[in-house]
Amino acid sequence: MRGKLSIAGLARVFLRNGTFTFGGGDATTAALQRELVANHGWLSEHEFGACYTVSRVTPGTNLLAFCTAVGWTLLGFRGAMSALLLASIPGAAVLIVMTAFYGAATRNPWLMSAIHAALAAAVGIMLAAVWTLLRGPLRRRPARTVVVAAPALVLSLYGLLSPLEVLALAAGFGLLAPERDAA
Amino acid sequence: MSAGLLYLLLLKATLISFSGLSSMPIVRDELVVQYGVLSDSQLNAAVALARAAPGPFGGYVISVGYFVGGVAGGIAGWLALITPALLAIPLTHFVARSTGHPRARSMLGAVVVASAALILVATVPIAMQALGSTALIVIAVASTLVLAATGLETVWVVAAAAATGLLAAWFGATL
Repeated sequence: MRGKLSIAGLARVFLRNGTFTFGGGDATTAALQRELVANHGWLSEHEFGACYTVSRVTPGTNLLAFCTAVGWTLLGFRGAMSALLLASIPGAAVLIVMTAFYGAATRNPWLMSAIHAALAAAVGIMLAAVWTLLRGPLRRRPARTVVVAAPALVLSLYGLLSPLEVLALAAGFGLLAPERDAA
Repeated sequence: MSAGLLYLLLLKATLISFSGLSSMPIVRDELVVQYGVLSDSQLNAAVALARAAPGPFGGYVISVGYFVGGVAGGIAGWLALITPALLAIPLTHFVARSTGHPRARSMLGAVVVASAALILVATVPIAMQALGSTALIVIAVASTLVLAATGLETVWVVAAAAATGLLAAWFGATL
């Protein structure tokens, strides 16, 4: 069931995660998945899958395409623009300041210690997102989940297929072997 | 170099790439080799800065923009970063119209599982880079357990981790 959604609430989620999540686009996507799907219930698992797929086929930075897709799915054009701007502006501002003070920033042990710890937390955010994404499918359809997840993991880990090809393969499996309760 | 030209050159690079740093060869060719307005060391610094800042690694184009043209250049880099994302709107509109169909839902169900595998794979290089000490491994494990077991928002976990890093620096043990 979808939780109460407002443009202000959605803006807060993107602003918070765009400002404070370190570790790159995948870590931020994982953090957003947690808030949008698991915590607020604004986005269903299927809608997350659709937005994730769109983000992979859109040129440019996957994370920003993901944010735009989520915003559009939930609140149309104003949602898309709010998500895109609020997920990118704080990080851009931080990056400009860090670039301006590049030498001093990288020599500051306090700042670097805090950043290193935040990057370690990003690893935790990503692992927790994997768990929340797999928890439901593993409970409902364990064998099917393993059949999709294991090849996706191996093919991607060893660089045999690109992420886009892995997603296409999974989608092909879903098309040819439909879930009984997908309707 | 004008901010407008810088935007177009960086946009060309971001538009024909499909992940964060894959635009780098084009950026290097345009700004380092052809125009000579950026050095290789500045390009490397831009990548390192984007890895240390919040947001996507592809944000390195913002640092590149700043190195080339100051704040106006940084804004040009940011615009080049966000412009391709607008293409997600028509794509999402098209995909959303299909999600009610049972076979489409089945496809998306499989995609969700595959996306979890992809996030797990993406964790590997970040973990190898980020977990260089026992203390950092403990932070990562604790973050995972807290997030998996509770509904705590990620921002608090990041804040707690950063505070731990500051505390460590206070006691002279930089993480």
